[in-house]
This record gives sequence, structure tokens and C-alpha cells, in this order.
Amino acid sequence: MEYRIVQDGENATVVFQGDITFSENVGFRQMLKNLPNKNMTQCVFDLAGVSMVDSAGLGMFLIAKEQADTVGWSLKVQGATGHVASMLKLTKLTEVLEG
Amino acid sequence: MSDISQAEAGITGRVAALDEEVRKAKILIVDDMDLTRKMIASSLAKGGFSNFQYAEDGDHALKVIAQDQPDLVILDLNMPKMSGYEVCKILRADPATQGLPILVQSASEAPEERVQVFASGATDFVSKPINKSELLARVSMHIENKFLIEDLSAFKSHIGDELLLARSMQKELLPQRAFLREIEVRGNLRIENYYRASFELGGDLWGCWRVGENRIGIYILDIVGHGVGAALNTFRIHATMARFQELRVDPALFMNQLNGELFETLPTGQFATMFYCVLDIDSGDITYAGAGAPRPLIIGVDHGVRMLDSDGVPIGIIKTPDYRNKTATLSKGETLMCYSDVLIETRDDVGEIMGQDGFAAHVSDISRRVERNILISNVLKEFFDVLKGDLPDDLTAVGFHRGSKDDTLLNPEVQSFLNQLHQNGDQ
Repeated sequence: MEYRIVQDGENATVVFQGDITFSENVGFRQMLKNLPNKNMTQCVFDLAGVSMVDSAGLGMFLIAKEQADTVGWSLKVQGATGHVASMLKLTKLTEVLEG
Repeated sequence: MSDISQAEAGITGRVAALDEEVRKAKILIVDDMDLTRKMIASSLAKGGFSNFQYAEDGDHALKVIAQDQPDLVILDLNMPKMSGYEVCKILRADPATQGLPILVQSASEAPEERVQVFASGATDFVSKPINKSELLARVSMHIENKFLIEDLSAFKSHIGDELLLARSMQKELLPQRAFLREIEVRGNLRIENYYRASFELGGDLWGCWRVGENRIGIYILDIVGHGVGAALNTFRIHATMARFQELRVDPALFMNQLNGELFETLPTGQFATMFYCVLDIDSGDITYAGAGAPRPLIIGVDHGVRMLDSDGVPIGIIKTPDYRNKTATLSKGETLMCYSDVLIETRDDVGEIMGQDGFAAHVSDISRRVERNILISNVLKEFFDVLKGDLPDDLTAVGFHRGSKDDTLLNPEVQSFLNQLHQNGDQ
């Protein structure tokens, strides 16, 4: 997994590349720390470049959602295709993450 | 500052006071010159060592080692009867002395000789004439390393034993073969089941239980992650499920209840995907509910595959996921297959993920080629044939093959069990 944080005013986008799986746990948590938490109202996870997410990866999204609720920004997930889109549909998580 | 006073002040590059355990270490000094043996012992004594053994040649050294193995050997190379090289080779060939630190001393400065010394199995090298503080520093380092490695090996072996025990406990959570045979006999089913953790312990779990006289409940679940943390959660979920026996008849209700409990206890980011169904073994009617588990497959007699809709928020994430019951039918001659996500998420040799639809087509294809009651084994065989490296996640795969009208689907093993039951007067 690689990522790039793009900030545009009060909005930030995290552009992910590669797989988001169990082994990316540490990197993902570090990414959450690197977000401009206090200075944004919305964060978009752009998953267009992600080809695989496993259940641990979905777990990490939920941790991001918790951080969003705690700090006070909203999370949006976009661009998922293929297996990633199926996983989000199967687990009905888009609603949970964006709710 | 002389070598000796340096040694008295502490050992160059080492902690000032040697650990008591290291000071008690037994050191075998092998040299054909009495004076050299004494000089080495006296240097080491200055550093706090006192437990010495002596040998005058290679042959003698091997005898001493065989009788009472030291913690470290200081070995001369050129000795009568047997050279230091020989001694090294013999000690390294014996599993009992394979890890014994051997410090070779030699007068030669030639790089070729050093290469030869290490090639014969020496741990380290000191030049003659011996620099006392260097000798002391090297001896201390190798003894400390030896004790550290012994501690680590003991710790590893202890943890290994603990994991083995935990693993056997986890296996006991899975349905036992004798129980599955009963179900096979009662329902004219053939059950293929497979479970393997990617680490010693797994975060997958599946189970099967009777629901009244003619129905069975089948569940499969996958807890986020793998390894010890996920395994502890399998025990937690197993124990929680045991409290809802009266709800087993209703998959949605059962899972809503389980979610209610686990939502309170599982930390954020931990959850379980799950599928639970109740199968009527007489009619083949299935009632099921899903919480994001990979879609179970029903493989038809014509090899067509139907996917069960297991969409749902995984267990433990939100307070009211509102699982609903759905229905399906497992007709005679058909197979119900439940499996964990590793089968659809593992990359093949060109880096592609099979995905849900690809997997369903793949299973359908295999079902055309093999006997129905060994379908799961063949799916797994092909999976492992393609798998590169270690299993990336826990793997569970279970198949329930329903016998058709005329065949019994019973393999010889099950048939013999049935015969045994009859012999015992059971039905």
C-alpha cells in the first residue's frame, strides 16, 4: 500500500495505491496520524488505484471512521472498482463509513 | 595502560561487571604449551572467569568435551595428534556441539589461514601473541551470545509448546469427525471439511449443530486478522454463541443477538464476517442470513453455480445491522459450499485476484471434472498448486453434498462407520 495526501482547503484526499491488507496495519495508522485532522471538514479515500482490500483493510477503514467521528470530519469513500467494490458491497460498509 | 590493568578495570567494549552467569561459564583451553594454557587462564581470571578445563591436544580436547561440555573452547591450531581444524570439523558435525562457540588462536596472520579457520567451523579468531584484553572481550562476547541464544531457544520452544496447546484447543472448537459422520448418515450427506490457520492459530471458525430432529445449522465466520489476537476472538465468539442455543433455529435472530453482544465487546476495527444457515436435511430447504461472508455456493447437478446473498454488515460493527432471513434450496445431488475469503483473494501466478464471480466459475468448472463428493478437496488441491509461498490468510472450506435419490454418497469410511453403528445395535 502506498498513499498520497492531497489537501485542498478544508478538504483532504488520500489517494491509495496497491493492496490494503492485514500487513499494512502500521502504515495505515501512520497515515491517519499524518492527516491534517484539525484543519479539515472532509476526507476522501480515493480507492481507484487499489486492487485488493481484505477484511483487515476494511477494519482499518472503520478505525478511520472512528477517528473522523472523534475529531469531527466526515469520511467519503470513492473510486472503488473490481474486488474492492465487491467487498464494500458485500459488507455494506460504504453506508457505515459515510454515515 | 597495560592489558592486565585494562582487564581489571573492565573489559574493553563490554559492560564493566560481567553477569554472574557469564563469569561461571566453563571454558576449555586447548594448547600443547603448558605456559600458553596458564597465560590464557590467568588473563581470563583477571576478567572474572574461574571455571577452566584444559587439554593438551585435539584428541584430549574431544574427550573432555564429550565428558563435560564447556560453554566455550579456546583452541590452538597446530597441535600434535589432532589439529585444531580437525577438532572444529568434528565438533560441528555433531549436533550436540554444533553451536558450541570455538575461539581459534593462531600465530599466522595469513588471510588464507583465517578463511580456512572459519571454513572448518570456528566461531571467531584471535592472533598469537595473544592480546589479553582482546581475548577477554571476545570470550565474554561469545559466552554472552551463547547464553542469549540458549535463552531465546528456550523461550521459543516454550512459546512453541504453548501455541501447540492453543492450536489443539482451537481445533476442538471445530466439529468433530464422529459428529459429522452422524450427520452424514442421518441426512444422506457427504461432508468435506478443511481448516488451516496461516499462522499457528487462526481467526476462522466454522461449525455445525443439530436443530431439532431433521435440521442442521451450519455457520462459517472469519474474524479480522489472523494469529493469536484473532484466535482469542474465535474463543470469545464460540463462547458467546453457546449462550444462544434457543435462537439457533432462526439465523437472522441468532446473528442479530450475537452482534448485540459483540458490538459491545469488540474494539473498533475488529469484527467477524459470517454466514449462518439452517438446512432441512429431508426437504433441502435452507434459511440463511449473511454478515459479509464470501457468498456460499450451491453447485447444481448440472454444474451450474448459484450464489447465496450473504451481503450484510459484519458482526460487531454497528449496533443494529438488521440481518434478515433469506431462503434457498439444496436439491438432491447438489452441494453447498462455504469458504473463507483467502480462496477468492489470493493472487494467481499473473498477479490476478479470482474474485467472487471468478471463483464461482472456477468451482463450476472443477465440478465437471471430478466426482461430486471430492469437489472441495479438488478445489483446494488446485488452490495450493497455484499458491506461491505461504498461505496468506486462514483457510476454511466446507462442502455439504446432498445424496441424490439413488446414490448414497457414502464413501467407504462412512459406510464402515454405519456398519459399526448397526453392529452396536444403534440406528
